[in-house]
Amino acid sequence: MGTFLSRLPRFRSSRARTLVAAAAATVAVVSASTADAQEILLTGPLAGAPAVRKLRLHREGRIELAPTVSFTLLDEYQRHIIPGLRVTYHPLDWLGFGVWGGYGFGIQTNLADELQKVGIEDRRCADNPSSIGCFLTEVNLTRAGNNPPGDPARTGTLGGDQLGAMTWFVAPEVTAVPFRGKIALFASVFADADIAFFAGPAFVGLRERKACGGTDDNGAARPACADSFSLTDRVAIAPTFGLRLNFYATDFVGFGAEFRGFPFSWNTAGFDNHGTGQDNAFPDQKVDGADSEFKFNTAMSVYATIAIPTKIKTTE
Amino acid sequence: MRKARVGLLVAAALIAVPLAASAQPKGTAKPDKAGTQPKEVNLDEPAADQPATPPDDTPSDTGGDQGGGICDITPEVCQNQDFDKLAQRPLNVEMYAVQQIYALRYHRFEVNAYGLQTLNDQFVSHPGGGVAVNWYISNVLAVGVNGNVYGNAVSSFNFQTSRSARVGLPITEYQWNANVNFSYVPAYGKFAGFGDFIFHYDFYVIGGVGAISTRPIAVVDPDNRVFEFEPKINFRLGGGIRIFFNRWLAAVLEVSDYIFFDKLENPQIPAGFAEAQNKDTWLAEGTSFTNNVQAQGGLSFFLPPTWEYRLPK
Repeated sequence: MGTFLSRLPRFRSSRARTLVAAAAATVAVVSASTADAQEILLTGPLAGAPAVRKLRLHREGRIELAPTVSFTLLDEYQRHIIPGLRVTYHPLDWLGFGVWGGYGFGIQTNLADELQKVGIEDRRCADNPSSIGCFLTEVNLTRAGNNPPGDPARTGTLGGDQLGAMTWFVAPEVTAVPFRGKIALFASVFADADIAFFAGPAFVGLRERKACGGTDDNGAARPACADSFSLTDRVAIAPTFGLRLNFYATDFVGFGAEFRGFPFSWNTAGFDNHGTGQDNAFPDQKVDGADSEFKFNTAMSVYATIAIPTKIKTTE
Repeated sequence: MRKARVGLLVAAALIAVPLAASAQPKGTAKPDKAGTQPKEVNLDEPAADQPATPPDDTPSDTGGDQGGGICDITPEVCQNQDFDKLAQRPLNVEMYAVQQIYALRYHRFEVNAYGLQTLNDQFVSHPGGGVAVNWYISNVLAVGVNGNVYGNAVSSFNFQTSRSARVGLPITEYQWNANVNFSYVPAYGKFAGFGDFIFHYDFYVIGGVGAISTRPIAVVDPDNRVFEFEPKINFRLGGGIRIFFNRWLAAVLEVSDYIFFDKLENPQIPAGFAEAQNKDTWLAEGTSFTNNVQAQGGLSFFLPPTWEYRLPK
């Protein structure tokens, strides 16, 4: 500043220069006392610019259609592949309401195949009904033959006569998107991404072994379990929740992956595992609700997304 | 009289100084020599601690009379050019603000401590823990080692299945596992959380080779058979996500498949006591292809915790 002032003829007097310098310093200090200490004044090309320009609102005001394929995880006797569809409307970019539905196709696990071979086919219980292996498993393992009148004939297979399966799903759900950002793949492909959480009730169609042994709720006798191996349908209502990782390849097309949990109790094997003794821990020669066990059922899904309308909103 | 006016102004300045200082965080911005100006950042100018122009006795490398400019290197390019006209032409330039990589991995160690749970063995649960150490050869490629130790708990599912179907299911205990690994980071990014905070993350894949020590749990003939742990070669494939809390600490979630050929208990018991106690009859013929899929979750520490960027000149 001194150099600047000394260039001006009227400030060449040292007293005047001192006076003006002191005044300038005072004004500067007083004005500084009113400024916010955190504020950074930009004078470059970013001066006055918002933190994010043209933020793409991938969800706000749009309906998202997502064809999905889901795979159940950690299955005991039957895996499920579930093609389905999810429809979600997002009134806000971070909030959506939707429904997911699908149909389940069951595939036996290696354990079920081994039981079929070792426990059913190799034992040949039709020829050796009094062998100890056949006698002790007559309640739990099917074998070819007839069921009580009104039920279809047994197939002699675990999957056809007694294994539990999930056949359909309908799950209304609320979706929240708290995290949004970007992903760089191989430092050359960049895409918008977000993490969404969802929750809601799930209605799951179940096919389980039909109750047998003992009496029903009305006191009527049910057929003995050794003579009854057939399947029946019911609906389980359970909470469902999970998280999604979404990637947006274009303004209206994306893809992603999802982890979903839907815990409920069911009898996956059709075995008589519970019903008597301490904590119902011992078999009671009946297959009924007491034999259902709580399972934390899970599934992994992959999907594509199509947003409608296709035109995307952006912020300023 | 003039002295009095100057004195009054200086006094006013001294009174005002504490007002300005009260808004400053401790230990941060120090007042400049004038002691008065708020910090103003001009992105078009060099930083305040760097001289705007080189000292007179230092040769400039920015062109002009000192040489080194594009016109000095390739004079033919500059001939017949109207620089004033070129400078005034309209430009439609897209500008990108490029951030430095938040957590640089290049030439740093990653020490990862984690807990683990096997996922696909329904008959025996194998909870455990492990440690991995990786050295990043580049920012995306690392070489390292890891080791796991396992506990073993036979599940009620195993008991129920055996009881209901009257079949003996061969089951296995795990003891330890060690691997040499390569890991690669193909994807990274950042998320804004609730529009309030930002966290960085990356995805990685990992592959390796090592050994796993296992032994069968005697189920078919527990009276005669007692197995000992034996290491087998295993291969590892996996992938995970790292979420950075800061530049040296990250949460890590990973799923890895340790693939090996296991030896299972012989489901047949030979006739005769002597044969039943013969160790050569205890194991089944051949081997069983086994996938030990496990989830791992833990913390990664990057060392050294700080580093210096090498900025392009």
